[in-house]
Amino acid sequence: MRILIVDDDPFAGAMAEAILDAEGHDCKLVESGVEALDALGEEHERFELVISDMHMPLSSGLDLFREMRDRGIPIPFVLLTGDDPEPLREQVPGLAACLTKDASLEVTLPAAVAGL
Amino acid sequence: MDAERDKAPKPAAPDKAESFQSRKARLRASFLSQLPGRLADARRAVAELRAGEIEHARLDALYVLFHTLKGSGATFGFRQIGDAARTAEQAVRRAMDSGGHVEPTLPAELACLLDDLDALALAADVQADPDTAPGFELPGPQSRPEPAPGQAPDAHPGQPADRSQRMVYLCDDDPDLAAQLAGQLGCFGYRVRAFTTLADLRTAVESERPAAIILDIVFPEDENAGPKMLAELRSAEQETIPCIFISCRDDFEGRLQAVRAGGSAYCTKPIKTVELLEFLDALTNPHPPEPINVLVVDDDRELAQFHATVLEEAGMVAKAVSNPEQVLSLLDTFDADLVLMDMYMPDCSGPELSRILRQIPGHVSLPIIYVSSETDVERQHKALAVGADGFLTKPIEPARLVAEVALRAERMRILHSLMVRDGLTGLFNHNAIMQFLEVAVANARRGGTSLCFAMIDVDHFKSVNDTYGHPTGDQVLMALSRTLRMRLREDDLVGRYGGEEFAVVLNGAGVEPAKRILDALRTSFSNVTFFSDGQEFHCTFSVGVSDFPTFATPDALTEAADRALYRAKKGGRNRVEIATEQDALPEQSPDSAETSDGS
Repeated sequence: MRILIVDDDPFAGAMAEAILDAEGHDCKLVESGVEALDALGEEHERFELVISDMHMPLSSGLDLFREMRDRGIPIPFVLLTGDDPEPLREQVPGLAACLTKDASLEVTLPAAVAGL
Repeated sequence: MDAERDKAPKPAAPDKAESFQSRKARLRASFLSQLPGRLADARRAVAELRAGEIEHARLDALYVLFHTLKGSGATFGFRQIGDAARTAEQAVRRAMDSGGHVEPTLPAELACLLDDLDALALAADVQADPDTAPGFELPGPQSRPEPAPGQAPDAHPGQPADRSQRMVYLCDDDPDLAAQLAGQLGCFGYRVRAFTTLADLRTAVESERPAAIILDIVFPEDENAGPKMLAELRSAEQETIPCIFISCRDDFEGRLQAVRAGGSAYCTKPIKTVELLEFLDALTNPHPPEPINVLVVDDDRELAQFHATVLEEAGMVAKAVSNPEQVLSLLDTFDADLVLMDMYMPDCSGPELSRILRQIPGHVSLPIIYVSSETDVERQHKALAVGADGFLTKPIEPARLVAEVALRAERMRILHSLMVRDGLTGLFNHNAIMQFLEVAVANARRGGTSLCFAMIDVDHFKSVNDTYGHPTGDQVLMALSRTLRMRLREDDLVGRYGGEEFAVVLNGAGVEPAKRILDALRTSFSNVTFFSDGQEFHCTFSVGVSDFPTFATPDALTEAADRALYRAKKGGRNRVEIATEQDALPEQSPDSAETSDGS
């Protein structure tokens, strides 16, 4: 699967990339919502999934998700958060998944992606 | 995704062939290597918080920092780091929610959490993939030398002599080299982000301006792609970002392109890390550089004073003397970067004084500029032939004087800094540390203060090399040099005396505090776990200490320290011995060869 990963923390981003690469996915890593929108650009068909960190400076993962939907980009969206994901799951309908950023990501992330 | 090179390989270049486990291990390792930098950033931000004030911007920055740390710490499985970062994040969040008001207790609370994080970072580092490479880590800060009560000025806080954690971007199309260099520079306190494509570099520069860029010249797309990219970045940026080029090209064309693009320095591959560090330090130093010290010698007292005043107004430190005889004794205590001298003086001419200086080993490279009304080119050349560097004709425009002096003094400083460093450890080399000892002794004598000189020798170093190989031996030396640099004060001088021997000058310290400091260092070094081929081992060192004024000259200090070191070795190693007056006497012991015999 072609996946766009958005994380302002290059280490966490690279880790998500490593996890998904190991599953045979094709990932691109960017560091902000703005870069993500650039990458999605005119032909968002290049990507089949967007995985974004929630808390980033300037614009959050949630902002990115809403902006994408506003622009009519329907790609499935997975949100990663360092906080409790439960409130986000409740507040934000339409997320493909909302996962906790911790060591369990090695298991939960491939599982969530495989379930799409 | 069209090609591999489109990927942003941060912080380490991904290698698809690499297994997930080894890739994860590498990411963990580079996360850990950057962690001290992030924590130092946080510490600085915390130090700037003003209790009782409204501090939106600083709190925001701290929040992002702790939040990110929480996320990546947890992602890499460092649960305790994640937890501590979460506690800090929540404390900052509370302050933000109360309208940005900084409670008086907040800075102390955060500082305490940062202490925990420092300790956790060090502890975690030890666990980070012991199998892949020889490694080392220092034990936690809890074992720092504790200052004795009421002894504040002498306390040696664990102040790393760091590079203030400045952000540097590195771009080289060879992912291995990029990762390796980034790792090494990280060890010396820089935060390095490595890129393998120029497009990624540009994107990063556009989003956050680094303190400096390290850039390859040749890229697959163009053999001058590096300089071209720099020129492009320069035209877009308001302020210029200092850039160091690294290249396997050593030809004139490559260097010319680099200079034209505005490169500040040029290092050829294989890269000597210490050389690169010197340039990086000079280019990214946020502190104003040490003022240039100039000695002005002119028999015309007023003119000497006038030139000195001109230089002082330009921010230099200038001393004027009218008697050439005073020059040598003045140079003992005044660390001149350059001497400005009158060519015609009644008792001793400029060329004569130059010749005297050139016959003293410590002054061979001291830049000398003549000042004279001499306009005869022939005679000017003759005067320069004895080893002077320039000629200024009176009357001198103040601006020209400043420019000439600054140019030469700065160039000599760079040269000097490259000459005085040991290639492996980045510490001062033998000659440099001995010269500094001389200056320190002169200062102590003049100021009536004390100082201690310590000789440190790694115990059984030869067997480390024999058992684990030289690369591991080098790791031990680097670990020790890092321990010394991190744990001593900035005005203490640390040098590699030779082989596995190190020398330390503790300015202003008496024997008791010196012993306490060195014992603490010794204990923490003995707790360092080294890894080689999956095996763990520990190292210890022995120390001999001598002090001024008990020993009055640099020679006496080194000899006495050496004898004390010998006693430490003979007494069972892993100990600190203080030189007593008996150590001043030549020892009769016939088996005095033992210390140098692979111990």
